[in-house]
Amino acid sequence: MGSVKPQSHAPAPSGRPRTPWRWACTVLVTVLLATPALGTPTLQPELGLDEGTAPSEEGPLLLHLPSPIGDLDYRAGRGLRVGNSGLTIGGFATAVGEILEGGKRDGGIDSLNFLISYRPLSFVHLFSEVELTEPLFLESGKEGLRAQAETSVDRLYADFGSSDAINLRVGQFLTPIGRWNLAPADPLVWTTSEPLLVEEVFDDTVKGAMLWGTLFPHQQALAYSLYGTFFNPITPDPDAVEPKHVAGARFEWTGVGGTSLGLSYSASQKHGGDPWHSLVGVDGEWLPHERVDFTCEALFGEGPRTNGAVNAFFIQGVVRTVSTLYVVGRYERFDTTRERAVDLFDLGLTWVPSPALRIKADYEFADHSDDRSPPGFRFSFSVLF
Amino acid sequence: MRRRVLTAMLLAMLLAGVSRADDDTRIAVVVHPSRQTVLSSEILTQIYLRRRRFWDDGAPIVPLNLAAGTPLRRTFSRLVLGQGEDRLAEYWNREYFHGVLPPATLASTRAIVRYVASDPNAIGYVPIDEVDASVRVVLSLP
Repeated sequence: MGSVKPQSHAPAPSGRPRTPWRWACTVLVTVLLATPALGTPTLQPELGLDEGTAPSEEGPLLLHLPSPIGDLDYRAGRGLRVGNSGLTIGGFATAVGEILEGGKRDGGIDSLNFLISYRPLSFVHLFSEVELTEPLFLESGKEGLRAQAETSVDRLYADFGSSDAINLRVGQFLTPIGRWNLAPADPLVWTTSEPLLVEEVFDDTVKGAMLWGTLFPHQQALAYSLYGTFFNPITPDPDAVEPKHVAGARFEWTGVGGTSLGLSYSASQKHGGDPWHSLVGVDGEWLPHERVDFTCEALFGEGPRTNGAVNAFFIQGVVRTVSTLYVVGRYERFDTTRERAVDLFDLGLTWVPSPALRIKADYEFADHSDDRSPPGFRFSFSVLF
Repeated sequence: MRRRVLTAMLLAMLLAGVSRADDDTRIAVVVHPSRQTVLSSEILTQIYLRRRRFWDDGAPIVPLNLAAGTPLRRTFSRLVLGQGEDRLAEYWNREYFHGVLPPATLASTRAIVRYVASDPNAIGYVPIDEVDASVRVVLSLP
């Protein structure tokens, strides 16, 4: 997603067969090829309505081009819509820089991510995120600009369903643990760095299937997801250890006004025959005032990326000050049985000149030197397109 | 100079008056006449945040908005969504990351009535005095 997550160094990915991916790709291609004939776009501007009566997507229109497959409309921060095909292509880009204590400096274009969304039918949604990592980077101690971009498919899945209560997702998708990992892109978060409990404990994606939906008890929203791994990653990372099995669940209650509370559970087995380990997460968001936002997450147990138990939590506060300048503060405690506990502090400013742009500068420091979170000043510029 | 100040004050009072009038506008939430549904303001919130995406019969809900910044939309957002425009923009940025776009917009309340009258899956909001027999009112606000 927005930043490159450190991977643990250990041997060999598991040996699950790749056949399910071939099967999934075949299904996706079949749906893609079959749908132009069946397609019923969600929006139907061709209901015999005249110019100006047809609905259009939200946001300022920056580009409008007629084409044989329909009008190409581009809106800032909402992507390029291809006629009434149901296809939207957008994304985000992030430039970062850091000046760390000890003298290390680097900066450049951290990532360029494309979001591809296709709704060929009202009950089918195909989605993918493709990332180009570090297309241009400058690092202290090395000469010249580095341009060794690598492409990876971060997400690729298909959603099927025609009710709010139950849907099926198949593919590679973000692991539903906590709330940060469900929207980890730089233009969506308030600090340049991620909490350790998001980076170090569990895989950021699930490669398998998920039942998900939203129920409305007492007219409030209760979202749930139940998932399990079945596939290998689309873009395998040779340095990463893929757990043999992961299964889990998440429930999130959201009240009117946006305040919400989440509960996550994940069980994982690193290798066949190993014992299963459990990880429990609790998270919440509280909006006491239009200008104030508090979020917190806590994890207890053992995740697929940890050796031994983890007890970790963070609490983050965001306060809007003058105009669209926000003051951000975060405290995190990350405690594992194998390493010394670390207390991390992150203080910064975020300026949102428009909803699609975010400029951040923050300073992170810890109660003691820790390789996982080197103290220093970091800044970033990110844009949704 | 004094005249300019007075003119500016008068203009501000007029605009404040317009805004107050918009706040006092009664809003009708309308659907196609064939859709026999009952809505509460809480369900309407879930629909306009696109958490509730389907009608009970499995058809996709097509929520319609007015353009950002229009007084009626501001009033509707305050009454139904309970969040300011900035916080909603944050919300829609996160949804965009998952391929979900905000409700489509139409240029006028008249266009909303026309569209809702022609699409059984659509839902929109208009001033209550603009409702005609081509649509069905499912909720009045406030």
